[in-house]
Amino acid sequence: MLKLIHVEDDADIREIAKMSLDLAGDFDVIQCECGEEALARVQDYTPDVILLDMMMPGMTGRQTLEEMRKLPHLANVPAIFMTARAQHAEIEELRNVGAADVISKPFDPMSLADQIKSAIRK
Amino acid sequence: MRSPEIKLNTFKSLSVGGAAAVSWYFATNALLTGPMSNVVSVVGAVAISALLPSYLGARRARYIADNQSLALGQHIDVLNEHAIVNVVDRSTNLTEVNDRFLEVTGYSREELIGTSVHNLYCDENQKLAPTIHLLLSMGKSWSGETPLRRKDGSVFYTHTTVRPIYDLKGNWIGSISARTDVTQTHELLAARDIAQVTDEMKDDIWIVDCDMMAATYMNKVALGRLGLRRAAEQLIPLSQLKGVDGVGSILATCRDMRSTGADNAQFETEYCGKPFHIGVTRLKAGTLKGRFMVVMADMTKRVSEEQRKSDFISTVSHELRSPLTSIKGAMGLLLSRAAGELPDKAVSMLEIAHRNADRLVLIINDILDLEKIAAGRMEFDRQVVNISDLITETKNANATMQQRFAVKVESNSDDSPIWINTDPNRIIQVLNNFLSNACKFSKPGSTVRIVIEDQSDSVRVAVKDQGTGIPIKDQHKVFERFADMENSNRSAKGGTGLGLSICKAIVEGLGGNIGFETTEGIGATFYFVLPKTEANMEITPADNVVKMRSAS
Repeated sequence: MLKLIHVEDDADIREIAKMSLDLAGDFDVIQCECGEEALARVQDYTPDVILLDMMMPGMTGRQTLEEMRKLPHLANVPAIFMTARAQHAEIEELRNVGAADVISKPFDPMSLADQIKSAIRK
Repeated sequence: MRSPEIKLNTFKSLSVGGAAAVSWYFATNALLTGPMSNVVSVVGAVAISALLPSYLGARRARYIADNQSLALGQHIDVLNEHAIVNVVDRSTNLTEVNDRFLEVTGYSREELIGTSVHNLYCDENQKLAPTIHLLLSMGKSWSGETPLRRKDGSVFYTHTTVRPIYDLKGNWIGSISARTDVTQTHELLAARDIAQVTDEMKDDIWIVDCDMMAATYMNKVALGRLGLRRAAEQLIPLSQLKGVDGVGSILATCRDMRSTGADNAQFETEYCGKPFHIGVTRLKAGTLKGRFMVVMADMTKRVSEEQRKSDFISTVSHELRSPLTSIKGAMGLLLSRAAGELPDKAVSMLEIAHRNADRLVLIINDILDLEKIAAGRMEFDRQVVNISDLITETKNANATMQQRFAVKVESNSDDSPIWINTDPNRIIQVLNNFLSNACKFSKPGSTVRIVIEDQSDSVRVAVKDQGTGIPIKDQHKVFERFADMENSNRSAKGGTGLGLSICKAIVEGLGGNIGFETTEGIGATFYFVLPKTEANMEITPADNVVKMRSAS
């Protein structure tokens, strides 16, 4: 089982993502509704993959990742962003800050698990 | 310089022509002849004395004639210096010209005599010629403005008076024209008009002289922006504006245009701390010939409006995508039976909702693309790719579409690789559009063919369907946005009405061209042609490795 932390402010999207990952059966999912909550949670937790929404009130996905990277045990954990602003420049920028992949919203719930696994393999 | 021929001919007319000839002498010979000469003083005097009333004594008559000749000679000097004079025969061929005429036109007398004066006319006074000819034939004179062309092709403006001339028997034999050069007045008036017009304009306007390294003119707004005031003799050395950002690039552009011979240039730059669009045009006529007109448009407002619009569209699309993620996600999970089995009718309705949610996503994506195109911000991520791979990928991605519309897709993409330097994702977007349209409009059971054609410098990719084709009346609007075409049935087919206009912008943005061929009832072929590879690209066929040669 892959330990995944999912940070997303939209409760409905959190639920859809949880259902689709549960359906795949390969993930042990922890969900947080903001960057601050996620940072508190990862102090004593080491996930195998971090799934971050980009646009969130308070800390953005990018800021959240930057803070997580400061924690030695999260320095090399693959991070995947989800964004509704799938602009080429923005995607490039996210890759440059160390994103293993950028998943555009709306995502396909039936292939989300495969997309995450493929990004980890990369 | 003198013109003895004119004096001589004038005398001949005068000596025998009676009172009419006398008046012509006073009216025209004064304009025509050069400085007082022996010929005129003797012959002219004799002629006049012969016509004076008989009651005057011969001595007195001689005395008066001498004085008149002297005065006339002096008048002639002045007028000959001032006026441009020519005589033509009835066929408009020049028979005589004065020195001023030669001086102003740049021709020699030998080049002009015997040739038509019309050769010097500009198009506008060619039209006047019949009117003048008619008036002269009726014994009337004509006055007005006539532009003439110099030997070097440049134009000068004259105020002209043309009068008919007659032989001794009173037959009309030609005409004589006296002209005043009004070019400078003309240009001053034009410059004043330009100044009046340009002072009303919101854009900054400069006239730049590269040789003088100066702006010879600036309109009101341009002067105001630089804190300058209009001087009577306006000449602003550009060295005076050295500290102003953007001035260097304006001057560099003017110099570059002078050396390359380019007529126009456009660019954007920071000027006086603001974003400006600069347009430079080479001036080709009048006294400003060889100078450059610089029109500078402040884009601050436009840039901020564009930014606001772009931010708004981006935010709206984000706000729409978030709920769509939940809607599509929930429906997708239900359809995949994540929440258990569903009745057939529920599945059918969910499929409709899911399909339309997909369509909404496409519309949002297309609107974002259109916004980028409109703002000129369509981004391309160029890579060297094998076009066949992109076609295979598109074919695979559209497998569901092929099943849905019961269409078979074939391609010759398995042939040898064709490398192009392009944006693969954008080309896949175009191919997806072509292929999905072809599937949607094909007859069930028919075949869609994707044909790659390796041309010498380019590659042509065509998607050919066996569908209904495009009616002739709709063909002109195929690449228009939301083109309302017969048989398109957008809502049923799941299109956005924007796809082909975006495809056109993409292909053209990548340096290619796009088009279609169709026969109603037989089918349609949509194609694009893209440049193949850049000259500095090296391809190693053995391992399919593509390298960009480093710039040397």
